[in-house]
Amino acid sequence: MPYAFIPEVLAPAGSLDKLKVAVRYGASAVYVGGQKFGLRTAAENFTLDELAEGVSFAHAHGSQVYVVLNSFLHDKDLIELPEFVKFLEEIKVDAVIVSDLGVVKTVREFSSIAVHISTQASTLNIESARLWKKMGATRIVLGREVSIKEAGLIKREVGIEVELFIHGSMCMAYSGNCVISNFTQGRDSNRGGCAHSCRFEYSLDMGLETKEKKHAFFMSSKDLEGLRVLPEFIKEEIDSVKIEGRMKGPLYAGTMAKVYSEALNFYREHGDFLSDDLIRWEEELGKVSHREYTEASLVHPADESSIFNNRENHNENEWQMTGQVIEASAQAGIVLEVRNAFNQGDYLEVIPFKGSALKLRTDEMMDLMMKPVLRTKPTTLVRLPYISGISPGELVRQRMIST
Amino acid sequence: MKITTYAQNLHDLGLIKDQGVTEVILGHKDFSRFGKLTDEQFQSIANRARDLGIQVIFEWDILMTQTVFQKCSEKIPALYSSFDILRVQDPGAYEWSLKHTHHPLQFIAENANHNLKALKGWAEHGQGRLSRLILSIELTRSTIEEYARELDVPCELLGFGPILLFYTPRSLLSPLLEDKTVYRSELLAIGESEESPHKGFPILENQHGTFMFHIKEFSLVDFARELKELGLAYFRVDLRFSGMSFFSPLIKVINQFEVSAFSEFKENYPQDLMRGFYLVNKTDVLFSKLKNHRLQNREGDYLGEVIEAEKSSHLAIMIKNPRGLKVGDKLKILHPKGSTFEITLQSVRNLELKEVESISAGRVALISYMNGVWVKSQVFLN
Repeated sequence: MPYAFIPEVLAPAGSLDKLKVAVRYGASAVYVGGQKFGLRTAAENFTLDELAEGVSFAHAHGSQVYVVLNSFLHDKDLIELPEFVKFLEEIKVDAVIVSDLGVVKTVREFSSIAVHISTQASTLNIESARLWKKMGATRIVLGREVSIKEAGLIKREVGIEVELFIHGSMCMAYSGNCVISNFTQGRDSNRGGCAHSCRFEYSLDMGLETKEKKHAFFMSSKDLEGLRVLPEFIKEEIDSVKIEGRMKGPLYAGTMAKVYSEALNFYREHGDFLSDDLIRWEEELGKVSHREYTEASLVHPADESSIFNNRENHNENEWQMTGQVIEASAQAGIVLEVRNAFNQGDYLEVIPFKGSALKLRTDEMMDLMMKPVLRTKPTTLVRLPYISGISPGELVRQRMIST
Repeated sequence: MKITTYAQNLHDLGLIKDQGVTEVILGHKDFSRFGKLTDEQFQSIANRARDLGIQVIFEWDILMTQTVFQKCSEKIPALYSSFDILRVQDPGAYEWSLKHTHHPLQFIAENANHNLKALKGWAEHGQGRLSRLILSIELTRSTIEEYARELDVPCELLGFGPILLFYTPRSLLSPLLEDKTVYRSELLAIGESEESPHKGFPILENQHGTFMFHIKEFSLVDFARELKELGLAYFRVDLRFSGMSFFSPLIKVINQFEVSAFSEFKENYPQDLMRGFYLVNKTDVLFSKLKNHRLQNREGDYLGEVIEAEKSSHLAIMIKNPRGLKVGDKLKILHPKGSTFEITLQSVRNLELKEVESISAGRVALISYMNGVWVKSQVFLN
């Protein structure tokens, strides 16, 4: 018996290419940033043309697009906002994500776009959600300190859509309540300039009798992962499960969208997660770059096990993205845009838009002009023999560390 | 411009009264981030303050998940009669207080709220009950002047005290203790990182979470007279961590500012001082340098991106414009380092290496190699 309610899977899209990846891999909605007003200043973000194209593409695939306007804007930043908001309405953006009351009021004044309150506003309780509803919000992206149970209660009591993060990096601070970068590096963390000081190692003099100093990454949080508690999200009818990571690559965007949408679709069909695929989905989540995982406060308030007391190391990924399928036809073969080099005879995995990964051995490789290739180079195209079942846009990965 | 400050014990009240200050902020341990007062202590100090003619402001500035909020909202009615004014930060506490209390309200808008529209919105939401807005210390002098002029509600600013940088509900220091019996009601540490240009961040863990402060404290003492002229209504002094022994000398300096007197005060004060962004806030100027805009120049007649440049052979262009690419098109190619190249297409091949008249969006076009063009060069119709 199919189950009526499953949450929306909201995936990050730091660029138009990533939007297409996330949507093709099953995201029911994506959130994106324009060139201004968002918190990920260093992300590629979208030009106006790309926003329009992204919305068209997503809508054509049945997905929604939310645009982040979640910087804490200063007065001068608000000047250009009305024109941008009008543009967003013209291109039929589905909602904007906002953290500041001034921005909420501006959006309401110049458009009828739905307003989602950003997690940056640290909305944590019923009364706070009630206030934002009065201000015109239709959805609250709750703070990461809120449990699934509390989120369900807020939804029922206030009568508003709720969205909760289910996966990705986390601020250790209450979101929007950290100004370390502002005062130590002159970069406004709440306008896109976060220097990630919480990820630093600190030497701590705790006044111990031994005079010993503790060395610890004490402010760094493990990454959130909520696959196993998806049934709680469904039980509490959380409207949207959100995946963090607009700065992350296409492999991340695609894998996350695929895993969480496949898991929820399985539930829709079967009413449970009693599937061997649960193991596969967990393995998939392990194949993208991440810190150790934690359920943080999804069930119980985050305790010391949620602290990532380790140095960041982005080179330890067991799997890496080797490329993306550009073309797949009997005539052209499989043409890969290579992101990371691989050799003739290597095993690759193609991640299909639906279903399990396909193994692919690179026995025959040619460049575009049909000359044999023994080792590929990044930022080149390589041609492999055609295999049916592989589609353009699909991502390809390779295991780098044998376990 | 009036002074407002905190009291943590009965002795503090005497110092406050002596300086002619007419209100005091009290921090109850269950409601205030750094409050330590129990019910009995709170009521005792509040009663004494009222006897001295000092108004009592109840500080409710913790952020609360629903579970914590529920406990606070159940407890606060028992304290109603002991205070005169309620000061809140969590928007939920603001909303709840409007419905369930009759006290004048103060809203702490120190976090974000860097635009007049937001501040006016918070004031309007107070429906006449809001008696004060507490502004962010990231505002500049000219902004404070504008807000003080434009807002109908009196404004307060931290004038002297620690700068809170970070607030989490998680306990971050106690996990580092091998001997947990060392932990009482709070833990203090001084932190430094090789990756930070600053050394000596005070860090506090208590029942509400963990807090990190700047190595310097915030001071606008030398601008107090100016702030008064700008229309600021309240100048807040926070000596909860340094001690109220500095209160009287500090108030004297504020009231009758002289450079030499302030210098003498600073020499005796345990923390270095800074004025933050009072004169200028340029915390957004670096943003434009965080990315290569040439890689993101996709306005106008943007056609696509070079995804392979094979010397002496070809350029592969991923076509992204719905118009597609046609033989005869004039192209302008923008190199990531800024140089440009122009070409009129005489021929185009697809990935099957067949000569074609056009290539549609989402497909790859192969054109003749051009010396100097790299991968990631952006292609435009010229």
